[in-house]
Amino acid sequence: MTRSTRSSSLDWITVSLYFSFLVIGWLMLYASQEASISENVKFISFDSLIGRHTIWVVLATIIFLFSFLLDWRLWYTFAIPIYGLTIVLLVGVLIFGVQIKGATSWYQLAGFSFQPSELAKFGTCLALANYLSFFDSDIRERRTFVVSVLLLLAPMFLILLQPDAGSAAVFTSFLILFYRNGMSTNYFVIGFALVAVLILSLIYSPFLVLLLVLFVGILILVMRYKQQLYALGAYGLWLILSAILYASNYKKEILIANIVAFIVLLVVHTIRENQKLVIVLFPFMLLATAFSFGSKFAFEHGLEKHQQERINVWLRPDKCDPRGSLYNVLQSQRAIGSGGIQGSGFLKGNMTRLNYVPEQTTDFIFSIIGEEQGFIGVFSVIGMFLLLIFRILIIAERAKNSFIQNYAYGVAGIIFIHFFVNIGMSMGVMPVIGIPLPFISKGGTALVVFSLMLGVLLKMDLARQTR
Amino acid sequence: MNQFSNRFTVIYGFIILCALGLVLQAARIQVFGSKFKNSASKYAIDKQTQYPSRGLIYDRNGQLLVYNIPVYDLKVTYNKVPKEIDTTLFCKLLNIRKDSFSILITKDWRSAQFSKSVPFTFYSKISPERFAKFQEHLHLFPGFYPVLRYIRSYPHQNAAHALGYLGEVNQKVIDNNTGYSSGDFMGVSGLEKTYENKLKGQKGYNYLLKDNLGREVGAYSEGGLDSVAQSGLDLITGLDLELQKYGESLMNGKRGSVVAIEPSSGEILSIISAPSYDPNLLALNQNRGSSFKRLFQDSINRPFLDRSVMAKYPPGSIFKPIFSLIALQDEITYASRTIYCDGEYTVNKKRGFSQGCHGHPTPYNISIALEHSCNSYYYQLLREYVEQYGYSQPGKGLDRLKSRLADFGLGIPLGIDSYLENKGNVPGSKYFDRLYANVRSGWRSTYILSLGIGQGELQLTTVQMANLAAIIANRGHYFIPHLVKSYSASDSLIAKKYNTPNYVNVDSVHFKPVIKGMYDVIRSGTAQMAYVPGLDICGKTGTSQNPHGEDHSVFFAFAPKENPKIAIAVYVENAGFGGTIAAPIASLMIEKYLNREIGLSSKWKEDFIYSKNLIETPDQ
Repeated sequence: MTRSTRSSSLDWITVSLYFSFLVIGWLMLYASQEASISENVKFISFDSLIGRHTIWVVLATIIFLFSFLLDWRLWYTFAIPIYGLTIVLLVGVLIFGVQIKGATSWYQLAGFSFQPSELAKFGTCLALANYLSFFDSDIRERRTFVVSVLLLLAPMFLILLQPDAGSAAVFTSFLILFYRNGMSTNYFVIGFALVAVLILSLIYSPFLVLLLVLFVGILILVMRYKQQLYALGAYGLWLILSAILYASNYKKEILIANIVAFIVLLVVHTIRENQKLVIVLFPFMLLATAFSFGSKFAFEHGLEKHQQERINVWLRPDKCDPRGSLYNVLQSQRAIGSGGIQGSGFLKGNMTRLNYVPEQTTDFIFSIIGEEQGFIGVFSVIGMFLLLIFRILIIAERAKNSFIQNYAYGVAGIIFIHFFVNIGMSMGVMPVIGIPLPFISKGGTALVVFSLMLGVLLKMDLARQTR
Repeated sequence: MNQFSNRFTVIYGFIILCALGLVLQAARIQVFGSKFKNSASKYAIDKQTQYPSRGLIYDRNGQLLVYNIPVYDLKVTYNKVPKEIDTTLFCKLLNIRKDSFSILITKDWRSAQFSKSVPFTFYSKISPERFAKFQEHLHLFPGFYPVLRYIRSYPHQNAAHALGYLGEVNQKVIDNNTGYSSGDFMGVSGLEKTYENKLKGQKGYNYLLKDNLGREVGAYSEGGLDSVAQSGLDLITGLDLELQKYGESLMNGKRGSVVAIEPSSGEILSIISAPSYDPNLLALNQNRGSSFKRLFQDSINRPFLDRSVMAKYPPGSIFKPIFSLIALQDEITYASRTIYCDGEYTVNKKRGFSQGCHGHPTPYNISIALEHSCNSYYYQLLREYVEQYGYSQPGKGLDRLKSRLADFGLGIPLGIDSYLENKGNVPGSKYFDRLYANVRSGWRSTYILSLGIGQGELQLTTVQMANLAAIIANRGHYFIPHLVKSYSASDSLIAKKYNTPNYVNVDSVHFKPVIKGMYDVIRSGTAQMAYVPGLDICGKTGTSQNPHGEDHSVFFAFAPKENPKIAIAVYVENAGFGGTIAAPIASLMIEKYLNREIGLSSKWKEDFIYSKNLIETPDQ
């Protein structure tokens, strides 16, 4: 992965990916408009959607290039002030912002709107990169961990007040940065497991989910035995027996039997060997129980109706009203599905042209790629994002200091979560939380901020040679 | 710092895995022909709503009071309307102005409410006759399709207030309430509102796949999401349509209200608020707006005011029988007590209470006092009741009276099945403490003696008055008056509170002298106009003093004396003495209900009431 310092130069792969994305985005937006605008399209104009997007693309390119003019140390020095500024802007938008579709997320000036939550992604990235690069910062220590989490939670909280749960969720991507800095893997394993329990409990009955968790717990304990073959054999029999009894409606009895089995094994293990495992496993089981049985309650009482609907659309689409809550996702999936392998061709997508997919210029822009460019286009765009993230991670690993490395991981995380969730939601595998596809979706602020983030990163990368 | 550099692999591996998931999902929906590919752009999903038929409303004899008639809403999908359709013919068929076509079809496409590919209501409430003509030409207008709806219709013009009317749901209801969507109807007043949940039924939905020409090609998801509309429950009310009709004709030209109750069940036989209006005027057809406005703007007669449950009136002398019962039970007085009346009741002239009474024979007992409605007798009783804890503690005595009146359903909401119900007003010590706060020595019983004859701050609704008559008829208990006696479906029962007797804590022996007095009121007392041979009516007149104009005429009664079948209260605003207007109206209605016809000997009363017109018609 390492290169010699001599050969270092601008990362042209990233630069060309960036401009390719801009072109693709512009073409897709043009396609979405083609049916409804007359012969003489104004390509640069404040009146048409594509005209405004052209202006934004030009502006984004200027900012991208401009970021090469600035010394990268500027960002290091002013990381915390920039972070502070974004926090101020987030507070200000709650007071002075305009409300669009129920969220107070925009400043409006002279016809252009500006979304401070986009800038907050950049600001938070800088601040975390800066703080974690201090010589006495160590994410494994409590103080560093708490400060880092607070730096992360402050913008999230303010964005949730707008309310814009989607943009707030983006900030969880900084966990990738925490992980790279050495945060214990256990947290991630336990975290993922609990999220899985939560989601599965919403889809299936909590009984079943808890039973599965117990099976895993018992398996972990069984693996500790010296005669593994016998132990695993017994475990297999136990599993089959449980499954049969569960199927014949002895659900409660089976659950209790498994709980007892788990506790007995845990106690035996603790007495015979040590207490290490019990400290992790027992609280986890309690949490998992609470999560699996609490999920329905939290779902019904903790969430607003439109949030419940979004989760239903994601996890239980067959129960949703196809002309109501499910409509957008269904239309998007049908548009993508109709593309087939080759796609209908540029400007030939019926559903795109007839505006069949709501929000197709922002949240569901991927449906245009899916319909007009088919599986080949979808595969290519996903591949391009994968390559972009790969380049950013390479830049991170070859960085000459930890600030740059942290910053690169932050950028990679942000781009990854946008790319994954946006494409995922247009195909119905992720909840619809309304975040844009980087460099492609309509939305000026996001485009400019993504360009700035990438430009700054490439400039930092150039610093390798001036060692 | 690079002690965790192996984590690069984990992170990038995770990202590749996620991307792989996306590619697999894309392959599933694009390449491996799942349901999305099959139903691809060729088809659109259409959601069709089936509107349930709203429950009907009947009277106690099975006569229909409210039913449904069909109307049509015309829906349109903007994208499916060809540019070259014949709008002239279209507008002619629908009888709308030619330029309204473009107005009706142009919506704010930027708002989330409308989409060019989603159907919206183009024109609503088209009558079946007009729609029949339009339907012959429907094939000329692609993109348009009809939806069958039901609106209310009324075979008779009666009981408008009790039945209530429907309106379109507003945005607030849609936001708060699951199940309502824009354009739905719901009850806005009367039974339509109170029993909305029983009447409305359940909407049904069909999800259909349609091809690009709008033809149905099958059910979405094999019809797994489809549901059938379920009609609402029919209401069977206790109303007697004949009686209601007759009562409304008698109340014609008067302001006031009448409530008649069956004492043995609490079922409301008739509930009238005059002036009234024809419920058909508020049916949700295309003329509704102007009728509504006209009725709403009549500020003199206020036809929308339901005087039977919303208006509170001073009861006047009909309060005397009730107070007699309480005073007898609480041993303030005894039935055979004589209180002399010299045509005036004066307590210590210095303190200023001196009221005249009208000329009548001496009340040797409580029955005679009732028969002739002696005021002095009841001033005295009230004074003794209020002073039962001593001269200086009138508040304590008054509060006891207030709580005893609550047993009779006064000053508290009765709990009838009308959400408009007023609880009336029974003043307590707190009220007078505040009113006479500047009197240094505090207020005394003499300040409030007019309560004893049902005047002053005491205010009841007509339903409460009718219920008082029912309490006396039942000799000590009542069922909460209610309009609905059962539902069409036998497994749905009305609220339990309507089948449970409420006792007023007065022993039945005390009813004897009171009922005797009320019986003699008709024979030889103040309401001889209410006499009907053979019906044994017991009643009591009231003349409620009105400082703003002519006195109000009040009468309440029940009949027959033994095993009563009907209890009634009549309140006619600005009609003078209770015996001359309210009493004959009540007796005519009792006669109508018990005999089903008006005898020859009562015809003159009927003509007299019909001839009385007490309201000025508003300028048109």
